[in-house]
Amino acid sequence: MLAFLALASIALVGIAPQCQAIVIYTGWERHALVGSDVRLSCSFFSWRWTSEDVTFSWSYRPDGSRDSISIFHFTGGAPYVDNKGPFRDRLEFVGNPSRRDGSILIKNLDFNDNGTFTCDAKNPPDIVGRPSSVRLLVFENLPVQAGVITGAIIGAVLGLLVLIVVIYYLMRFLVARRVFNLSVSKHGKKGKGKEGSQQRQPRRTPPFSFLSS
Amino acid sequence: MLILLAGIFLLHIASIVLLLVATIDNSWWVTEQTATDLWGTWVYQNGNWNLTNVVTNSQEYLQAVQATSVLACIFAILGLFVFIAQLFTLQKGQRFIFSGVFQFLACLCIMIAASIYTDIFHKTDRGQYGYCFILAWIAFCLTLISSIIYFVLRKKVK
Repeated sequence: MLAFLALASIALVGIAPQCQAIVIYTGWERHALVGSDVRLSCSFFSWRWTSEDVTFSWSYRPDGSRDSISIFHFTGGAPYVDNKGPFRDRLEFVGNPSRRDGSILIKNLDFNDNGTFTCDAKNPPDIVGRPSSVRLLVFENLPVQAGVITGAIIGAVLGLLVLIVVIYYLMRFLVARRVFNLSVSKHGKKGKGKEGSQQRQPRRTPPFSFLSS
Repeated sequence: MLILLAGIFLLHIASIVLLLVATIDNSWWVTEQTATDLWGTWVYQNGNWNLTNVVTNSQEYLQAVQATSVLACIFAILGLFVFIAQLFTLQKGQRFIFSGVFQFLACLCIMIAASIYTDIFHKTDRGQYGYCFILAWIAFCLTLISSIIYFVLRKKVK
C-alpha cells in the first residue's frame, strides 16, 4: 500500500514536469538616459526551496548583432562581474540570491549599450526553464509619451471648468439659504456666518434701526 | 426674429463644423508628397497614402496644439447646448451670457492652438499651410463673432 503511494507520487512528479519548470521574470523594456544608471531586475519562481547552489547569469546581445556575450554570473554564493567586456567597471550586482533576486546595476550608460539582456537562473534541482530577456533603450532625452501633455491640458481645463460651475451653483445655493434664514429670524439679524442666525458676530447695524428705534 | 435666431444658430453650427474638421483632419501642413499634423503624417508612397507618426522636435508644443484644439471643439459644442437651454430658461430681457462665455472660451482655445502652430512649426520647411490650418483661423473669427453676438443679444421682451 505504502509502496503503491510512493510509486504514484513519483509518477506524478515524473509526468508533470511543466509545473516544476523554473519561471524567470525580467522586465520587457527599460528606458534610460545617457549617462545614467539602470537597474535590470531578474527574479524567478520555483516550486523548490531556494538552493544554496542557485545560479544567475546575464548575457548581452547588442542591437543588430547575432552574438551574445556573457557579462555576469553568480554561482557558489559569489558574484562574478564582467572584467574584460563592454561593461567592465560598470557592472554591479545588487541582487539578493537568497530572496531569488538576481538584479544587476549598469552605470554610466552609453548609446552602445542598446541591446537585449538575457537573464538565466537555475535553482538545482529545478533547472528546466526559459531565460527571460529585457530590452534596454538608451535615449538622449526621454521622449514625451504620446498624449500625456494633451490629456493633462484637456483634463486640467475641463476640471477647472467643472470646479467653477460647482462653486457658482454652491454660492447661489448658500446665498439662497441665507435669504431663507433672514426671513425666519425677524429682528434683522444680518449674521455674516454661513450657519445662519445662531452666530453672534459683531455686525453693522442696519441703517433703518436708527429710524425705527 | 426667427430669421435672426436661425442665423445665429447656423453661425454656431458652422463654427462647430469648422472646428471639428480642423481638429480631426491631418492637413495643417502639406508638401507634394505629405500632409501632416496634428495627429499623424500622411505620406504618398508607391501610389498609396500611408499614415505615420508625426516627426518633430517640438513634441510638447504639438501636444499643446492638440489639446487646445480639442478643447475648442468641446467648448463650442457645449456652448450650443447651453444656448438651446438658455433659449428656454432665460428670463426676458436678459443676455445670453453663459453661451457667450463658452463661445469665447472656444475662440480663445483655437486662437492659442493656431498661434502656437504658426509660431513654432515649419518655420524652415518647404511646403505650405493646408486647409485645416486655414479653417482653424476662420473658425477663430466665427467663434469671436458668435460670442460677441451672444454677449450683445437680449431675449425678446414680449
